[in-house]
Amino acid sequence: MRRVSENQNVRNLVTNALENKRRLNDLSNQLTTGLKVNKPSDSVDAGSIARYQTLIAKVDSYGTNIAQTKSFLEYQDSIVGQSAEIIVRAKEIAQQAANETLNSQSRAQLAEEVFQLRDQFASLANSQYQGRYVYGGTDDDDPPYDVSTYISPASGPAKVRYAFDGEAGTDISKSVKVTDEMSVTLNTPANEVFGSGLEALERLSRALAGVRTFPLPSGTPDGSGHEYVFPDEYHLQTEHIRGAIDLLNQSRDVELIPERVSLGGRLRRLETGQALLDLTKNSAKEVLSRLQDADETEVAANLQQAQTALQASYSVTAKILRMTILDYV
Amino acid sequence: MVNFTSKILGNSVSAMTAQQALLANSSNNIANVNTPGYTRREIDIQTRADPMAVDGVLRIGSGVQLGEIRRITNEFLEGSLRAAGAKQGKAEVRNEYLGRVENVFNLTGSGLTVGSALNEFFSSVNQISRDPSNLDLRLDVLQRGEDLVTAISTAYRDIADTQSELDQRVYQEVDSINSIAKDLATLNSFVAQREAAGVSAVDERDQRDLILNKLAGKVSFKTLELPNGMMNCYLENGFPLVSETTARQLSVTTAPSFATGNLPPSLGGGILSYVTFNYGGEGAPAHLDLTQVLRNGEGSLAGILQLRGYADVTNSSPFEADGELVQMASRIEAITRTLLTTVNQVYLGADEHPGTGIHEPSSADLNGNPPPVFGLFDFAFSGTKDADGNGLPTLADLSSTGIPSFSRLLKLGFSAAAEFAAARDLNPTGGVLSVSPGDGRNAQAIAELRTQPQNFLLGGVAFTGTFDEFYNSSVSTIGNLKAASQTEYEVARQAYTVAEVKRDEFSSVSLDEEFANVIKFQKAFQASARMIRTASELIDTIVGLL
Repeated sequence: MRRVSENQNVRNLVTNALENKRRLNDLSNQLTTGLKVNKPSDSVDAGSIARYQTLIAKVDSYGTNIAQTKSFLEYQDSIVGQSAEIIVRAKEIAQQAANETLNSQSRAQLAEEVFQLRDQFASLANSQYQGRYVYGGTDDDDPPYDVSTYISPASGPAKVRYAFDGEAGTDISKSVKVTDEMSVTLNTPANEVFGSGLEALERLSRALAGVRTFPLPSGTPDGSGHEYVFPDEYHLQTEHIRGAIDLLNQSRDVELIPERVSLGGRLRRLETGQALLDLTKNSAKEVLSRLQDADETEVAANLQQAQTALQASYSVTAKILRMTILDYV
Repeated sequence: MVNFTSKILGNSVSAMTAQQALLANSSNNIANVNTPGYTRREIDIQTRADPMAVDGVLRIGSGVQLGEIRRITNEFLEGSLRAAGAKQGKAEVRNEYLGRVENVFNLTGSGLTVGSALNEFFSSVNQISRDPSNLDLRLDVLQRGEDLVTAISTAYRDIADTQSELDQRVYQEVDSINSIAKDLATLNSFVAQREAAGVSAVDERDQRDLILNKLAGKVSFKTLELPNGMMNCYLENGFPLVSETTARQLSVTTAPSFATGNLPPSLGGGILSYVTFNYGGEGAPAHLDLTQVLRNGEGSLAGILQLRGYADVTNSSPFEADGELVQMASRIEAITRTLLTTVNQVYLGADEHPGTGIHEPSSADLNGNPPPVFGLFDFAFSGTKDADGNGLPTLADLSSTGIPSFSRLLKLGFSAAAEFAAARDLNPTGGVLSVSPGDGRNAQAIAELRTQPQNFLLGGVAFTGTFDEFYNSSVSTIGNLKAASQTEYEVARQAYTVAEVKRDEFSSVSLDEEFANVIKFQKAFQASARMIRTASELIDTIVGLL
């Protein structure tokens, strides 16, 4: 016959009550943290949980990069758009001026607007974003185009010239990682976007103002400030204006349009990247939630059950411990 | 006629004495119902042999006589209780301390872990490549770098501290094993003396079983009861801890006389201690390293020694020991070493110029200065760090310093935001550095390391994978270790409870049983008293006839 002694009775009851209490404590912990896995040993999926947590944090950080990069590229898109408008306007003027029904005085009158267009164009090329020069390459703390002067004429807008500074780093594009696999170029060196346009505007404006720009098509300009001799060189002036039109076309076709297409492409890649990150994040969140989050309904139900069990073990304990043979002898 | 009456009286008196003795025994059982280690006792009673036949024919019997007092105990049940206790002792200590190590790798998502710090650091470095001269982003890199260094050194220190605490516990456990051994030897002599004098030694035996159970929780052993009642106690390998009245001692030493070669360093930088056996008893010199033997046994001491890790005198690195703490600490250390070598190498962008064998840095900070050799991650050390002076941080340089573990000493190699080298040299021919402030290519190269597989050295075996993969595998490892120890502990606890129940079923006092006996004995006493009155009435009747 199995003997049941007092010690055993008490020990069993206490063990059961403690076990029930521990379960209750575990469940209320799950309910307050909302997590069923708090420690690696709580689940065999601990490694996966750590991986998904990291993944989500990483995706969030990439998301910041994408958002910042996107607004940077959109800003550049508007710069390139404005530059294209300047080129369009300059071309209109140039075509009007190239018409030989205009005499040299009338051409000189058109020069003023082109000088302004040139200044605008140069300031677009020297645009800043958050205090850094957008088109400075990695050398983004000083403007890619510096203001210098021609020797002649002695004054006026025709004396001013914009020179690409070409310092170390200006030819290197910045780029940033936006997902584990994808990097996006942040900027294009200024001379690759504005080089032809600025030169075209310079040559057009100077030609209209009656000053030749040597040597053509590029390089260190002739500082002699040699003026056209009218009427002998009237045709030469026309030729130079036509040359400027070619350069304007080149600026549009080779620099601004490709840059805009490239910006569009990069923005689309960012969208794709963001969509991929969102997808990754959502599925990671879903999996993580399945692995780590406590099902509140289930936990609450279990909590209720554990409470009942604890109460039952208390009342059984109380009843059994009260019983003794002494009451009957 | 008269013979029979006196027989009635004699029998009744013997019975009353016996019942009183039985009642007294019950009262002792009841009094000790809650006494730990108490085994219920029974008094053997037997018929008293009748020396002679009455009337020459009838041997009616001469009543009852008291025999020996017996402890109701079963050496087999006691043995299995001790075995279960030893298993429980080991499982409990392992479970407790693995739980602490596990906290280092918590998954709550709040608070700093090595995994989250690594992730934040690489994210921050990646952000900087967007706008390398932005001081806010640079400050973030500095902050995240410091967080990472803190996370790593804290994680490592937590594990190392756990190891030193376990070392303290080795001293405590050995002290209490020694004192139990002495008590056991004393009790042996009491038991033998009492029993040789024909006196029962039940209390001493109870005491002895109780402390043997206590000893079982600490260390595994075998017992052998000698014919004289003494209990010999042998350690796992057969070494006599207690033989008869002699208690031999264990001792803990960090510099054993038998050691030749390096002493194994601990994770915290101290020296791992040995548990040794002293043949000569207390105060005698240590003779033999018992660490390995004790560690393979059961009991809390085995659990402690297993977790803490065993290293022999030929080991010079704390990671050459085995044991779970060492295993987890070496994972943190592997991350540290990869940061100090691979990540630093990329950070320096070291070029080897032909002929010179010197690696010149080709990266620069915001002020245009190249970083030092341990520029991104550094360690506190006053000696030469780049031992071969070739400008490249390598594992060989690390081992030349003689430092066993770098995680505790890890620090950032730069202290101001501008000093983070985000840029790469623009001068293709080497020599004078030429950098531009918006250049984040070096930062990008560091950020790329996050997705590239690295080698993490674990005791000579390399784990190849990304930082994330390596850290996550560590989380899985500690999770599995802790979950296994939890299961082991629960099973051991269950087994111990079952063994206790079995023992209690047999040996412990049941009040119901005792009270039933009390009634039985009382009734018997009353009946015997009644027999005396009957005898007295018989005598009265006879006297009345006269």
